[in-house]
Amino acid sequence: MIWGALVGGLLGTVVLTTMMRAASELGWTRMDLPFLLGTAVSEDRVRAKLVGYTLHFVFGLVFALGYWVIFATLDQSGAAIGAVLGLVHAVFAGTALVNIVLPAVHPRMGTGFDAAGSSPLLEPPGFMLANYGRRTMVAMIAAHVAYGAIVGELAARAA
Amino acid sequence: MVAPVVTGRARPDRYLPIREYAAIGDGRTVALVGSDGSIDWLCLPDLDSASVFAGILDADRGGRFTLAPSIPYESERRYLPETNVLETTFITDTGTVRVTDAMTLPQGGLTPYRELVRRVECAAGEVPMRWSVEPRFAYGSKRRPFTRHGGVPVAADGRDALAVLAWDAGEVEYAGGSVGGRFTCDHGRRSLLVMSAAHQEPLVLPPRAEVESRLQGTIADWRAWAAGRTYDGRWRDAVLRSALALKLLVFAPSGAIAAAATTSLPEDIGGPRNWDYRFSWPRDAAFTLQALLALGCDREARAFFSWLLHASQLTHPRLQVLYRLNGRADVDERELSLSGYRGSSPVRVGNGAGGQVQLDVYGEVLAAASLLADFAGGLDRDHGRRLAEVADLVCRLWRQPDAGIWEVRSQPMHFIQSKMMCAVALDRAVALAGSGYIPDRSVAEWQREAAAIRSFVETDGYSEQRGSYRRAAGADEVDASLLLAVLARYDRPDAPRLLSTVDAVRRSLGEGLYVRRYLDGDGLPGDDGAFLACSFWLVEALARQGRGDEAARLMDELVGLANDVGLYAEEIDPLSGDFLGNFPQGLSHLALINAAVAIAEHA
Repeated sequence: MIWGALVGGLLGTVVLTTMMRAASELGWTRMDLPFLLGTAVSEDRVRAKLVGYTLHFVFGLVFALGYWVIFATLDQSGAAIGAVLGLVHAVFAGTALVNIVLPAVHPRMGTGFDAAGSSPLLEPPGFMLANYGRRTMVAMIAAHVAYGAIVGELAARAA
Repeated sequence: MVAPVVTGRARPDRYLPIREYAAIGDGRTVALVGSDGSIDWLCLPDLDSASVFAGILDADRGGRFTLAPSIPYESERRYLPETNVLETTFITDTGTVRVTDAMTLPQGGLTPYRELVRRVECAAGEVPMRWSVEPRFAYGSKRRPFTRHGGVPVAADGRDALAVLAWDAGEVEYAGGSVGGRFTCDHGRRSLLVMSAAHQEPLVLPPRAEVESRLQGTIADWRAWAAGRTYDGRWRDAVLRSALALKLLVFAPSGAIAAAATTSLPEDIGGPRNWDYRFSWPRDAAFTLQALLALGCDREARAFFSWLLHASQLTHPRLQVLYRLNGRADVDERELSLSGYRGSSPVRVGNGAGGQVQLDVYGEVLAAASLLADFAGGLDRDHGRRLAEVADLVCRLWRQPDAGIWEVRSQPMHFIQSKMMCAVALDRAVALAGSGYIPDRSVAEWQREAAAIRSFVETDGYSEQRGSYRRAAGADEVDASLLLAVLARYDRPDAPRLLSTVDAVRRSLGEGLYVRRYLDGDGLPGDDGAFLACSFWLVEALARQGRGDEAARLMDELVGLANDVGLYAEEIDPLSGDFLGNFPQGLSHLALINAAVAIAEHA
């Protein structure tokens, strides 16, 4: 099942990335996860994008392992339970992970406590990522539900 | 509520004269800054994107970024030497303030996607200042409120957002769709206003020290670029300013060169002759290559030509009249609900000329290829194959009527300049094949068809009575585009028919310094002004015909027609001297450069 989850993580990240990009093109959101992740490592835009995409896919695999642990604990997997986990994942990301944890660890992301400093700051995402567009959360939920469903389905097929 | 800045400059009908604007840019987009400190035009993130400031096209709904003294003033301005960084000096009864405006160039590090910087320094006394940022997204159709993100005012609309950072510029006041402030600039004080823009990504909010450093780096970058330009003749300042203006129109991500930075600045105040020029016209290829190579801009010349052949791949071997800056061929025209510059409506985006047939474009592109091949000692093999196919197409097309160089919207005609350029296209193809730069399998056909075109032009396209080539077969008018026959080497410059045609153009279309394009109708109501490029073409034609003194005298006067910072629009009103049409206009500046170089070469 673990290989199914990992393959699902890879495929799910591809789908998630594509959906988020499509939402961006539609004007729903300015959320750019690879850019956010990459700028934690590099100020250079091109390098940040490359590093960001790499980290994004690594995280996609790491989260798939997390899903696998839950599937193993529950002793069940499949698209439906994967989709539910994806929904929880998206809401957690919007309320805590990207909204609170990322600004706390990202060296270039602004928070309410920042004053003028010596480093450029990225606009903070805000609660439910609304600063990046009011429909960001809709896109995030849809993309993560798709991710979870793919991970769950492939994990089930490999079981 | 932030009140709009009260200006010390007259704004007839609430609009500044077009010549009161200066352009700043970063190779991706261009902003127009008025002499009263108001930025009335800016599209984000790119030159052909929707505007966030379009006050120049609708004083009520367009949006703008104002910055000026809140007391009466006089202003004067200049570009910092050899840069596209603008300095406006406001002189008041209580003191003098200098405002430096720039779109910054990336200098490494995490920089905003686009950044507009306005630095305010007091030179003497103290001056009360007022500023206001009123963005209106999507060509004025969307007014979005400012909200605080990380303590910074941010306005966002879908994929786009902008933040306003202010240092030593007073308490920021929010007023729904605008933010602004007041402050007093006193001696030794330096204030900074920055607009950071994002597109499909979170905003980058730069610290003050980095912005200051980036502004200095931008000035240095422009100076380094200007230092590489090679013209050192009599009109050096005008040529260098034209080169810098052209560089603003080079869309760095693709190498395309926009015809102008704006849409719908009218050719006739109050009339419908309002077009979107934020596209690249292959027709300008030869002028562009000639000017760029003369100035030592080899990199830009190669990039433009590569872009041109890349963009035209989808329509090959046909050349569309214009392409988008990213190379796409969809240029559909539509009308916006903006009221237009001084009521000149409609305001259009996109350009309906994209669907026209214009035969002259083939001659221009093959002439450009010839220039580049001579310079570089060859052409890319694939480019050579495609250029030969373009020449084959000319053999099949030249008998058709077309819309001509002026893109008339009346019925297609047999424009003589278009036929001449078809002959030039085939002449250049034969020469390129002779040098081994393009395949030579069709040379005999190219020569045969070129001879047939010349026979048509000399028989049906020349009026013995007027002593001039005609505007179109069967028409007895002249047309300023016939000057291009000299420039494009349709025949020897001093050929009797070309000598008499140049004189006829001056006689029939000249008004002092000015040259009108034509006198016949073009399918549109109203009248336009004098086309500035035509005046410079006349200078170049005179120079190439050995009439250098006459050319130099005219050139001296034409250089004096630029606005206070050395820029030209598309046209000029012969009576009032007001600029008309889109601004700054690449073709006017290209023609100036080529005229100056021709005088130097033929002195």
